[in-house]
Amino acid sequence: MTITTGAVLPTHRTPVALARGFLTGGVVGTSLAALVVGGIVENVPLFVTGLVLPVVYGLLFFLAGMPRRAREAAVVPRTALAMIESLEAVGGESSDVPVRFELTVAPDDGSAYRVEFRQDINLVDLSDYRPRGVVVVQYPPDRPWRVRIVKRPTPEWEERAASARLDSAPGTARVAAPPEGCAFGFVVLLGLLLGAAAVVLLFRVDLFDRDDTAQPPPVARPSVSSTSSTTVVSSASGTVSLGPGQSFLDKGELDRAVGSLTRGGDTHQALTVVVQERLLSVVFSPTGTQPPGLDPRTLPYDRFPALVEEATATLGVRSPRTWQIIADRLTGSLVIRVVVTGPEGAASLEANGQGKVVRRAPAR
Amino acid sequence: MGWHGYLVLWCGVFGTLALVGYGRSLAGMTPAQRAVRVTGRIERVGEPRHGSSPREGIAVVVSFQDPSSGQEFTVTNDGERGERISAAWTGREIGVHYPRGRPHAFRFTSDLSEGGRGLGWPTFAVFLVYAGPVVVAAIDWGWPWALLGFCGPWALSGLYHLPGNVRDRNRRLDTLAAMAAVPGRVVAVLKSVSTDDDGYTSTHLVPVVTFTTLDGRAVTAYCESGLPDPAGSQGLDVTIHYACDDPAVFVLDVEAERRSWKRDMAVNVVGVLVVAAAAVVGVVAL
Repeated sequence: MTITTGAVLPTHRTPVALARGFLTGGVVGTSLAALVVGGIVENVPLFVTGLVLPVVYGLLFFLAGMPRRAREAAVVPRTALAMIESLEAVGGESSDVPVRFELTVAPDDGSAYRVEFRQDINLVDLSDYRPRGVVVVQYPPDRPWRVRIVKRPTPEWEERAASARLDSAPGTARVAAPPEGCAFGFVVLLGLLLGAAAVVLLFRVDLFDRDDTAQPPPVARPSVSSTSSTTVVSSASGTVSLGPGQSFLDKGELDRAVGSLTRGGDTHQALTVVVQERLLSVVFSPTGTQPPGLDPRTLPYDRFPALVEEATATLGVRSPRTWQIIADRLTGSLVIRVVVTGPEGAASLEANGQGKVVRRAPAR
Repeated sequence: MGWHGYLVLWCGVFGTLALVGYGRSLAGMTPAQRAVRVTGRIERVGEPRHGSSPREGIAVVVSFQDPSSGQEFTVTNDGERGERISAAWTGREIGVHYPRGRPHAFRFTSDLSEGGRGLGWPTFAVFLVYAGPVVVAAIDWGWPWALLGFCGPWALSGLYHLPGNVRDRNRRLDTLAAMAAVPGRVVAVLKSVSTDDDGYTSTHLVPVVTFTTLDGRAVTAYCESGLPDPAGSQGLDVTIHYACDDPAVFVLDVEAERRSWKRDMAVNVVGVLVVAAAAVVGVVAL
């Protein structure tokens, strides 16, 4: 005798399930690749996408599964008597050990069937479960393989179990969950690989450029350090110019450039530091003098993008063409001056050593 | 998109979620509002087995009636059934709630009053909307904004609730003073052993006491504090002090409990002062 479960579709073989598996794999692959590639090329939006994408997908997945979960929760579980054919503790170091049961379930209104499942049983209660013993079980009628032993049955079922004698169902009357199949695993893997490959291909230029710019530029003599930035250092001054498509307002770019100018020697004091879109110039203080210099490494570079943004947005230069930041201590205290120029003229603002704006001069 | 773009996105998403949640609550559509709440009655109390697990609570048989169909249900607390029942006696009333039309999905609760309005998640979303600008302000303008932004409202909330908390402590102290004393016995010690990923094993022991109230109710209850040596306490005779109107509220050592409540009140006040001081430091450091 074989129990048929015709109403139940093998959940992992339907086209929708396969498409969902492919999508899940794609999202996992894309987000992982976005995190790794975003971290390597220091692309913040890509990195954030890697974080946000799985969260959004998980939320959508959760919402899409709500009707199915509601449908399953609305099914009234069926209670039945069952006889233990065999049981085996399969490990566990806590007080609740996982036990693999094989039961013959005898529903009141149907044929008896065999089923195998695992359930955690407390060590102290394990002696209550012996082969040929009768227990009370519950299962959803549409998924008879999802059997659970009721450890605390109601008095009525407790009495029935105490007085019942059940016969074993034949081994052919076995019910089990539909197998997952290898097609599902294959489409998940395929989605994962395609998602990761798509991100790597989209950002391959940045990844390869990164290999070139990562080389440390020599400090002692003027030289071309990479295809996208040029560093020139002498005892009196140093400049770093960036290639097309780059900006000193990009995160970490200024720190890296200043680091390349001041690396290898004593602490260089500078008279002025000038930053433009793709050009950084530092004029070093002459050796042996004590002018009011500044240490170019201590400037608040992380505030520079915000200062430029503020200058271009609030000082009346509606379509700025160029900007320039000049830092010096010629008047005693450190002054960071941001100048933006556009059709309306020039406007500037001044900030202190912490990057806080202290004065504004709008365009006239 | 800069920091401020992400902030707008953050506030927009969680603000929308909060609005949806409050809208559902106003329309009476939250699961908490739609749940059926009935009062069940404990018909039978099981004898706890020494050494078994305390996770599922004291075994009870409960009966309740579904108001819509009038059908009587007799159920047990097997598996995940809401709040753990840690004090039981025959005849005790216990809250039962379930989604409308699904009495088989019942859950127990010790709270017999009407359910909440389901505003927990929307309020949490509002908190996240508030936390976003505070964090960005702290990053842009300095740490004092974090102190002011978080500790300020917290201190105000603490000050607002302080009188109620003090009244609650005083009421509990009054309850302690009016407790009745009866003999009891530790009938079993339940044990839960768990092992974490590092292989560290932790054991949680819960003694179970039984006592009979002056009006004849035979109470079985978990006693998680008050016994100096829980592991060896099986068979120990103890004196139980219980609240006459609710035997689920009981203690073994009234004086220790009183000291604990007084200490708790002091900690509450000091906590509010510390949070308020942090907010003031934030204002001064701006």
